[in-house]
Amino acid sequence: MTQFGTYVNTARRRLQEHDRRYSLRQVARRIGVEPGYLSKIERGQVAPPSEAATVRLAKELDQDADVLLALGGKVSSDLQDVIRKRPRLFAQLIRELKQAPDHAILRIVREVRDGDW
Amino acid sequence: MITLENDRLVIRFPEVHKDARCAIEFQRTLRIPDDGLDYPLPPGMGRFPLRHVDDYARRMPTDWLRRGGVLMPMHQAEAMWISFESEEYPFAVKIATGKVCALTGETWMNHLNTDPQDYAVLPDQPWLDGYCVAQGIVRQFVAMPLGQGYTVEEQLTGEAAHGGLQLIAYPMKAERYQEMMAKQSAGAPPDEFVAYSPIDSASMGLAPGGRMRQEIYEDDYGLDAWDQRHASRCFITIANSLQWMTLTGERPPTEAPTAREYASAGLPWFDYFGGDLTAIADTDKLRAISSVAEIGAANGESPLPENEPVEVNHVIALRRKGSRQVREVPADLTLPR
Repeated sequence: MTQFGTYVNTARRRLQEHDRRYSLRQVARRIGVEPGYLSKIERGQVAPPSEAATVRLAKELDQDADVLLALGGKVSSDLQDVIRKRPRLFAQLIRELKQAPDHAILRIVREVRDGDW
Repeated sequence: MITLENDRLVIRFPEVHKDARCAIEFQRTLRIPDDGLDYPLPPGMGRFPLRHVDDYARRMPTDWLRRGGVLMPMHQAEAMWISFESEEYPFAVKIATGKVCALTGETWMNHLNTDPQDYAVLPDQPWLDGYCVAQGIVRQFVAMPLGQGYTVEEQLTGEAAHGGLQLIAYPMKAERYQEMMAKQSAGAPPDEFVAYSPIDSASMGLAPGGRMRQEIYEDDYGLDAWDQRHASRCFITIANSLQWMTLTGERPPTEAPTAREYASAGLPWFDYFGGDLTAIADTDKLRAISSVAEIGAANGESPLPENEPVEVNHVIALRRKGSRQVREVPADLTLPR
């Protein structure tokens, strides 16, 4: 199994323990792929699916789409667009932050401003 | 701190505890009939988009900008429910519309109150669909323009001053959370300047629609469990479709199917059972509010199109523990008309 396949298989089986709607067949149907294809994905016999299918799968399994895309060796197209618009700035920012601990990164995340109400 | 991530408000208190994180989103849904009958819970049809008000400061009415927070589009007479997510860390969350508490009908206060309880407890409370008008019954949140007398704010305060939706979240005290965990483990960017004039500031508010079965659960932890020294709050300004498009340049989501179209297609509705949790009681104030249809009838208006009763045959029962609480259908669902 690939890391992607193992992750998907584990997440789906955890849900299936409590809810039969998370069978391989039903999940495949809801995300619009063949059950055989999803089975191969879970066993690592094929490459991870397209970005759109990965996002649908993440939503279906209540997983973070960016994490699942990263496991599949992808970066979401909206993030790529953001970087392409200001490549120098974002490349510099990401490189500078690559070693920073999570709490330091969270400190620079933009907060929703609370005003006067 | 509150951040905006993929149309969700993510609330974190890293200064309290590393696990202190919850998320709140606003789900599009069909409007249930406002006909006096009690319906099950309608489905979620994807998140409403949310944007920082600061990103559109050049055209934003001064009042909207002053409040801060986020902007959300809703069509007139469109319905919405609020989804809460917290993996383990408990939170107390107050929800108000037009600065009137959706659980008690009292005017906005930042602090928590227990008599009557004016907050929901996460993660026990997965959703809030409306105003608590009777024990185990809510009236659906339905968007209506301010100034026509339909909103709860106007009904209870006599003014149309605020509109929108407000929330504040308090984390559990860290020491209380650690005690709880110990017990469990023993057992188990700015805009370019363009000379635009501000848009019309006529705001949208939320009003009480049809009745549905939903319990809001009593706080089993007690008021002392909450860390009221730490809070994050947010004003959600509701823009109508035209305001949203003018400000953001984006189209708002299409309107959800009608309850009749949805029920006719045999798609599922939901009931939720909270196990041994006790539902809070209604208050005199919210018991006395009138629904949009009732006010419309009294005024000789028809504010809610497609409001006929529907027969619901497919109801999925969801339970509190052991299963992920899926209450959404695909956002791109199309139904035969």
